[in-house]
Amino acid sequence: MKTARMAMLVTAICGAAAAAGPKVVELPGKSPLVTIRLVFLTGAACDPADKPGVAELTAAMLARGGTREMSYKQIVDALFPMAASVTEQTDKEMIVFSGTTHIDNLEAYYKIFREMLLDPGWRKEDFARLRDDTVNYLRVTLRGNNDEELGKEVLYNQIYAGLPYGHENHGTASAIEEMTIADLQAFYRAQFTQGNLIIGLAGGYPAAFPSRVKADFAKLPAGPPAALHLPEPQPERGIRMTMIEKDTRSVAYSIGFPLNVKRGDPDYPALLVAQSYFGQHRESGGRLFERMRQARGLNYGDYAYLEYFPRGMMQFEPDPNLARRQQIFQIWIRPVEPPTAQFALRLALFEFDKLVKDGLSEESFERTRTFLTKYVNLLTKTADAKLGYSIDSQYYGIPEYNGYLKSSLAKLTREDVNRAIRKHLGATGMDIVVVAKNCAELESKLLSGEPSPMTYNSPKPQEVLDEDKIVERWKIDLKPEAVRIVPVEKVFE
Amino acid sequence: MRTLIVLLAWSAVAAFEAGAPRQAFPYAYDQHDFPNGLRLISIPTDYPNVVSLFIVMQTGSRNEMEPGKTGFAHLFEHMMFRGTPTFPPAEYENAMRQAGAASNAYTTDDFTAYHTTFSKEDLETVLRLEADRFQNLAYTPEVFKTETLAVLGEYNKNSANPLQKLYEALRDTAFDRHTYKHQTMGFLKDVQNMPNQYDYSRLFFERYYRPEYATIVVAGDIAPAAVRALVEKYFGEWKPGDYRPQIPAEPAQQGARTVHVVWPSPTLAWLAVAFHGPAYSDEQTDLAALNLISYLGFSESSELYRKLVIQEQKVDMLRASCPNHVDPNLFTVMARLKKTGDLDAVRDDVLETLAGFRTNPVAAERLDQVKRRLRYSFALGLNNSEAIAGTVAQFVALRRTPETINRLFEMYDRITPEEIQRVARKYLVDENRTIATLSGGKAQ
Repeated sequence: MKTARMAMLVTAICGAAAAAGPKVVELPGKSPLVTIRLVFLTGAACDPADKPGVAELTAAMLARGGTREMSYKQIVDALFPMAASVTEQTDKEMIVFSGTTHIDNLEAYYKIFREMLLDPGWRKEDFARLRDDTVNYLRVTLRGNNDEELGKEVLYNQIYAGLPYGHENHGTASAIEEMTIADLQAFYRAQFTQGNLIIGLAGGYPAAFPSRVKADFAKLPAGPPAALHLPEPQPERGIRMTMIEKDTRSVAYSIGFPLNVKRGDPDYPALLVAQSYFGQHRESGGRLFERMRQARGLNYGDYAYLEYFPRGMMQFEPDPNLARRQQIFQIWIRPVEPPTAQFALRLALFEFDKLVKDGLSEESFERTRTFLTKYVNLLTKTADAKLGYSIDSQYYGIPEYNGYLKSSLAKLTREDVNRAIRKHLGATGMDIVVVAKNCAELESKLLSGEPSPMTYNSPKPQEVLDEDKIVERWKIDLKPEAVRIVPVEKVFE
Repeated sequence: MRTLIVLLAWSAVAAFEAGAPRQAFPYAYDQHDFPNGLRLISIPTDYPNVVSLFIVMQTGSRNEMEPGKTGFAHLFEHMMFRGTPTFPPAEYENAMRQAGAASNAYTTDDFTAYHTTFSKEDLETVLRLEADRFQNLAYTPEVFKTETLAVLGEYNKNSANPLQKLYEALRDTAFDRHTYKHQTMGFLKDVQNMPNQYDYSRLFFERYYRPEYATIVVAGDIAPAAVRALVEKYFGEWKPGDYRPQIPAEPAQQGARTVHVVWPSPTLAWLAVAFHGPAYSDEQTDLAALNLISYLGFSESSELYRKLVIQEQKVDMLRASCPNHVDPNLFTVMARLKKTGDLDAVRDDVLETLAGFRTNPVAAERLDQVKRRLRYSFALGLNNSEAIAGTVAQFVALRRTPETINRLFEMYDRITPEEIQRVARKYLVDENRTIATLSGGKAQ
């Protein structure tokens, strides 16, 4: 199928700016717990074109492999009585290594943490284990066991196809199978530099601890921060649909399009209000949730996003340090029963159209603004999250997130929100990813444009039935050439 | 009316200092019983501005005794968001949003927890809303039927994961009579029949949504006296009931059992080796000892992990658990295998490890490591008011007081290598065992 953006294939250039040392973000406190977050401003967007997944596998090798001095088993045994660990999270532009320890164990814990990052062991048995883990994550955990996360990741791949964001962070199974330790070492040498590092510390650590950490990590190469060239994805015209054929009970949808607004941009607070009104994550007050689940019982929930939010089915708040310069607007429709799949998609698009055309009422605006002004406190309820948000704020060049959001929300008007919706969400097209069994049957229904009347197991209010008459005929601007069906076995290969 | 005020509290630091009192739960709390049977536990924390409220109802899928009613406690959790005459769902949602509240609920085998985290100035608003729905829930048969479809949607989204199917088969095989035979989600046929069960849903509410089944946990930036006054004001008129469920006891298993699940599409194989264990107790050491065995034998620091995950790399996930339950439940070892052909070999390794606990006492030093791990792990988890309330909620579902946490950890300290061996010989034996396996099918 024809895609304008495939023609825009541009290689990301990682590394080419002025040298700088590590930055330190400190949140000292009285807690007996100490949290360390080391964020490297690099990630999957810096994977060489022929090595998708190398950033993630390198990070895994550091966090779940041995050091030169200690085997992985020795590390695990040492950390076990402390109930501590070093975890890593790799995204497009950030790799974070984090852990929390009780102050009793800070010295022993930090020594291991430091060596894991500064003096990795690069053992072949660790590499074999982690390579298997990565391939199994792609083929089994993501592709086989979680239709919703699968749909979301394919949506991102689709929107950014051919661009630095255009592959799942773990890469592709075939590329991972061919990767070597030398590939990881090359990535480590080039990207794990002082200039790319932000050191985050929180809790009751000793006063001299930050300068000690900074001095230790000054052993990293003095290389420059990554300068990543990110061409804009071109918005679709009409709808482009990827259908993933899979033996599954129900039909999952992910819908999205590129969004040229990120944290810190003038319209970010306004769009955050719009997104919260339309589909606040895992809350029952959103418009989509109310119309799809509460009024009609179509599924378990329906939400919308301005920022990348992986693992949303497992958690209520997003993890920090997933900062990106490019975001998409995303709608998540949780699995629906196959007979209602056509209607459910129509209803989601109908509601989205309504959002763009009508915006928010004054009452909805005020209610949502009040909600967000208070809800923001919950995002930073742990020292670890607060530290993560502080680092993200540094990345985006904004003040501390709570203060930034509260003051921005205080100045907002309903008209600001509705103007931002029209400007940024009135997309000319969108990508839709479907995970389903019998995709061809659903495809032909969607292409036919035939009405898809709903039947319910109980009487419904007249306003719902009246609305259904419109929704069941809602036009989905889908052309046969814009649909492709992919067997699940081919995804992430 | 009875009030217990636990006055002090060790800081989490003190919990580990040599010679210092070793209270595992480091916070002072106010525990108060109202005449109608409701219990309130208020826990001031040093996390500013935020308050977390958990309302724990001691009813879960364990209470689903009648045939065809599996999944009902969970369905009822959904119904609790369907409004009252005073606050229909839209108004409830509006009020919660005005409070900036994150509100949700979950159901387990033994209890259902409704949790809300919000800014401290909205405490009264949130308590008023919650008290209203717990006493005056009202929904029509039409709304009930619609909500049953959301539950089916939840079943559907879970169904993509083969582990759900494995657990379903494991429980169904291991249990004959007790309601732990089914998962909280319920059997699919019962979920599909839920739309026809409106009357039973009202009966469920009448039976269990009573103050004697409820414990309210409030943690955060609060003053306990003020919380108590508000709870009295809004929950004081809640009428107690008199229903007491007769949960069938599980007879002793008389021989080893096995079950195999074929997953329709490609996936990695799973092995589950389970044994009937004891109920939760903060007096009898059996469950605590089994929990220690789960770490000793199958955590990332275990010898078996070194062999199967790090050295031979046959397995990519290995763990064991012995969760706290009101009635006797299962001690289960789980492993995910890279090759289906290794199922027998890995099963034998697991059985050999378990046999080792029966034949030899564990090293005292290793046992101490695990005990330290459990204490630190618990302390590290109490890192915000919501986590504190949520942790306490799990324990009040069992004993209705945070004190049980301290008793449990004191008990861990007393467990010896000989005690570990005694418990292994009692529970981890062949006639008490069920092995469930799962393997994937071919690509389409």
